[in-house]
Amino acid sequence: MKPSNLLWPVGLGLCLVFMLGPLVLVVLFSFGTNALIGFPMGGLTLAWYERLLADASFLAAFRTSLLVAAATAIIATATGTLAAFAIARASPALAHWSLALVSVPVLLPPLVIAIAIVVLFVRGIGVGLGVPVVVLGHVLVTQPFVILVVLARLATFPMASVEAARDLGATRWQAFRLVTLPQIASALIGAALIAASISLDDFIIASFTLGGGNTLSTFVWGKIRTTLDPSINAIATILLVLTVGMSVLALRLARYRG
Amino acid sequence: MSRRRDALFLAPAMAVVGVVLLAPLTLLLVISFWTVRSFKLQPDFSFEAWTRFIVNYGGLTVYTLAIGMLTALICIIIGMIFAFGVRFRAGRYADALVLATLLTLFGGYLVKIYAWKSILGADGIINQGLMRLGLVGAPVPWLLYNRGAVVLTLVHFLLPFAILPLYAALRNVSTASIEAARDLGATSAQTFWRVVLPQCHAGIIAAFTFIFLLAAGDYVTPLFLGGSAGSMLGQFIALEFSTRFNWPAGAAMSFGLLGASAVVLAAFWLLLGRRRAA
Repeated sequence: MKPSNLLWPVGLGLCLVFMLGPLVLVVLFSFGTNALIGFPMGGLTLAWYERLLADASFLAAFRTSLLVAAATAIIATATGTLAAFAIARASPALAHWSLALVSVPVLLPPLVIAIAIVVLFVRGIGVGLGVPVVVLGHVLVTQPFVILVVLARLATFPMASVEAARDLGATRWQAFRLVTLPQIASALIGAALIAASISLDDFIIASFTLGGGNTLSTFVWGKIRTTLDPSINAIATILLVLTVGMSVLALRLARYRG
Repeated sequence: MSRRRDALFLAPAMAVVGVVLLAPLTLLLVISFWTVRSFKLQPDFSFEAWTRFIVNYGGLTVYTLAIGMLTALICIIIGMIFAFGVRFRAGRYADALVLATLLTLFGGYLVKIYAWKSILGADGIINQGLMRLGLVGAPVPWLLYNRGAVVLTLVHFLLPFAILPLYAALRNVSTASIEAARDLGATSAQTFWRVVLPQCHAGIIAAFTFIFLLAAGDYVTPLFLGGSAGSMLGQFIALEFSTRFNWPAGAAMSFGLLGASAVVLAAFWLLLGRRRAA
């Protein structure tokens, strides 16, 4: 084999190590007895996970994160799907501009979005901060992704089947529930999972708008800042498994429909 | 009838954009002209915060934008190499490599920052390796808390945002057009610059826009890995809202950052647009 034939496999391999290596290390060391990341990693242990499960503040943060992610997923999937249906039918100009407007939050620094929300909710309307405000912020950031996933699904959707149902006497709602929904359901679940994983991963918006308490990411942040607590590896692994697991599932559902 | 229903369907999403984005940003802009007297926010029409931004943070803003551009540039170069390899050289591993890229996309913003701190730190994996090999006697401290560590971590975090649009663009480049160029006597470099690259125009613009904005607007990475030499503007914006409680200053700095970023993007788009026309 000529050396030049090895160039591409080696290059691609190095890129892959760069992308995945740091994450693999974190997961690996969450099972090690040593307190710090470093080799030898000591024996295998589940102690860090056991310690977390006994930690009330971790469990509270976990619950808050799941609540925020679930609420975000449900609301963003609803607003995003409705918008996608409208955009799919709208004139090209209207579709273009409404898509551009809802996508603005994806391009803004989360920091600016977060402080703007704080300014409005604390000073502007004076309702204060908390879980509902975090959810609103996450819906803003995730609904463009829902719209893109649903639009992609609708692009190959046989509209004739809905028209056929209507011709056969189905009401608009019956046609949606019995014909459209079963065909787009997997895309909707995929979109909801993507929204949930973005919500779980967010630190910046949550840290500014939560007020009191913790989500998983603000909990991790508190630990990173204060001590070198080895249970960070375990929390990080839990976060990774949740977000990566949900996005893998989402990709499967959105791409290959049932 | 159907138009009214479309408007109704769009309403919830637009309401979210209005209440959670447009109204807050408008108020933030208004507040940038207010003043703070003895820790109290006072409605005003003053350019105090803006003057302060330009005088105190002008240099840091330019530096922050430079870090954003550097990160975008490195991501696009590595991303192009990776995407090109996946598209034309990876064969049956292509799907697995794209999946691996997607995996790193949605998870682990803080996890990635923390991982790099563990890798580059004084008792991190690189220092341990160097010491075990006998290359250094004591841990090398300069791996962490500098600009390099910030750019490295930002590149790691944002690389998928370059790979995915570039790969999407390369998928539309036919192997036939490349073979035609080679048959007509072009070298591989010529083929890449004159056949492949021009067809990736939209992918490069999308990658640069996204990565530049996210990198220039980040504040957690420099806060955690940058030390004093690697500070970026976002950290000081966050500070005005967390401990210093000077909202007008933070507001002016936010819009200053957005405005300056828009100028960079406009320049980049013009530059690339002109190159394509030439």
